[in-house]
Amino acid sequence: MDPSTLSSPLPRPRKGHVWGDRIFGVLVAGAGLFVIFLVFAIASILITQSRLAFDSYGLAFLIGTRWDVSHEVYGAVPFIAGTLLTSAIALAIGFPLAIGSAIFLTTEAPRWLRGPLGSVIELLAAIPSVVYGFWGLYFLGPYMRTTVEPILAKSLGWTGAFSGAATGTDVLTAGIILAIMVIPTIAAISRETLAAVPVAQREAAISLGATNWEVTRTAMVPYARSGIFGATILGLGRALGETMAVTMTIGNHDAIPTSLFSQGQTIASLIANELTNSSGPLQYSAIIYAALILLAISLLVNVAARLLLWRVLRVTGGTTE
Amino acid sequence: MKRQTSRTAMYAVVAIVVIVVIVLAGGYAAGWFKGSSSSPSSPGTCAPPAGVTIKGAGSTLVYPLMFQWESVYGGGTAVNYESVGSGAGITDITQKTVDFGASDAPLSSAQTASLPATAVTIPESAGGVVPIYNLPGVPTLNFNGTILTDIYLGQITSWNNTALQAINPGVTLPTAPISVVFRSDGSGTTFIWTSYLSAESAAWAAGPGKGTAITFPVGSGQAKNAGVAGYVQKTPDTIGYVDLNYALNGGIAFGKVQNPAGNYVLASVNNTASALKDANPTLPAGTASWYNVSVLNAKGAGDYPITSLTYMLVYQDLSGAYGSALTLTAAETLVDFLYWSVTTGQSYSAQLYYIPLPANIVAADEVSIATLMYNGAAVPNSCGSSV
Repeated sequence: MDPSTLSSPLPRPRKGHVWGDRIFGVLVAGAGLFVIFLVFAIASILITQSRLAFDSYGLAFLIGTRWDVSHEVYGAVPFIAGTLLTSAIALAIGFPLAIGSAIFLTTEAPRWLRGPLGSVIELLAAIPSVVYGFWGLYFLGPYMRTTVEPILAKSLGWTGAFSGAATGTDVLTAGIILAIMVIPTIAAISRETLAAVPVAQREAAISLGATNWEVTRTAMVPYARSGIFGATILGLGRALGETMAVTMTIGNHDAIPTSLFSQGQTIASLIANELTNSSGPLQYSAIIYAALILLAISLLVNVAARLLLWRVLRVTGGTTE
Repeated sequence: MKRQTSRTAMYAVVAIVVIVVIVLAGGYAAGWFKGSSSSPSSPGTCAPPAGVTIKGAGSTLVYPLMFQWESVYGGGTAVNYESVGSGAGITDITQKTVDFGASDAPLSSAQTASLPATAVTIPESAGGVVPIYNLPGVPTLNFNGTILTDIYLGQITSWNNTALQAINPGVTLPTAPISVVFRSDGSGTTFIWTSYLSAESAAWAAGPGKGTAITFPVGSGQAKNAGVAGYVQKTPDTIGYVDLNYALNGGIAFGKVQNPAGNYVLASVNNTASALKDANPTLPAGTASWYNVSVLNAKGAGDYPITSLTYMLVYQDLSGAYGSALTLTAAETLVDFLYWSVTTGQSYSAQLYYIPLPANIVAADEVSIATLMYNGAAVPNSCGSSV
């Protein structure tokens, strides 16, 4: 639409402005298209390079439970299981901590503490993952082995989830490292959305005699729900794809974890460990196939999250961020 | 305000310059820059053509030796070697991003098939692999092939296993479970270790098999020698394997292994060298595969059983493989370096805990190197004719 017809009081743009707008328009369009091109470039390479494995195994790769390099038998279940299990642990531990700290920062914390504490949480997000991995390998892992895992084995060993030798280099430790890594992502965004809850809304709840807990539960969290949900999905995305820290703590064993004390392998750690050292074209191709699965899982998580969010908002009458 | 900012910035710049000058001066005093300006002091008669640098990549096992060669050969600028791991070394030579690859495992038939041209395999050194473990208060343990295989198969799961106790009389073994550690990256060390386990046990050979990166039945994987050694040293009740030269260089304690003569041997440069001589394998001719050449389990009374050659891989027809990307001068340097490393270069082995090649292997190498071609003719060099 011609901008001059929008509203008459606007001055006619000068000629230079028109040219400037055109150049600007072309530049941003170029940037946008380039990003789309990148996605296609990555996806097409993954698809072409995984072709050999796809031709050999088809979709049976998705349910193949063995990964045996010596006999060239490749199935993706050990890595899908490792990826989903560690990410589930990460969210199970990280989500309550992140939401708790976000609520604390917006409601309970004294004003002088909010700035510094908020910065510390954001600092957590800036620590390189190799540093988390190092910390996991040399501090958390040994601590898990000597202290936490024996207690878990003694008290919860009957569940079967905590059986086997306590080594501190296992799915549980990797999951906990991931939990620490997703906390800043979830906490920082949740805090922003909670802080954006209108003061009037909180005051209304308080005026009705609501306790702190009730204000949070009835006035704040429902309002910020979509933001918190989005933050959690971002955190999950980070957990699914994290490579370095997981490689250093999970034990890198190509088998389906049978307990939380098992060594395992995620799709990301598989790529990091075996891609450059693959013993032949089929293994290489199978690893790329696994990478394609990781891309698909991430995509599914995002789509599912959007659908869920859309449904929730429709049912509850739509509170937006 | 503005003036103050620019003054602060000026102070910062001056401070940085001063610090850089001090660091560089200190570094000069400490001899940081000696390496590049040292006079050529290489023993041996080879004089490679100046001005070219050839590139190699691969094995981490051979890296300390290769690093030494790099720094003395041709004044220190003729060779550039990256220690990226044997698996990556094979990938690099396959993709022709390097002039030579280095691998502790010879090419498998699948790897040979995926090469774009015929390659020559040149063993350039040898090493051993030793079991390391962390049992506080336990002196040097004896192992044998059966027990090591059973541990790595997950069939022996605790340290006080009766079979292990039987060959370690008088040692109080803990009841703790064994945690197995292996290399998570593709590694020649893994190839040597799993070749030994395959030779010792039919179950291992038929199951996990041998290779630079295999699927281990149990245990956790750590990256590189340093990762395995670091993890084992920090974690009680673990067992792992590292290169002999890495263990000796780092002062890491390791276990004895029983040899075919029945003796428990603590690996050393001498008993791995004697193993290499005694094993005396049939050497493949020309471009034939080295995949089944084994120097494991030599028969001598004092020989250490877990020993292996490590190899350099080069294309036979250099101009055919690289085209104009590799000049004749570079080809000459490459061939020169190959000759030099298997002859003069061997004198650096012992000080770095590597095993010098026996004469028959050097002779086979020289025959192989002589078959390298550039534009259909043998590559001229200053080294080969004199040896």
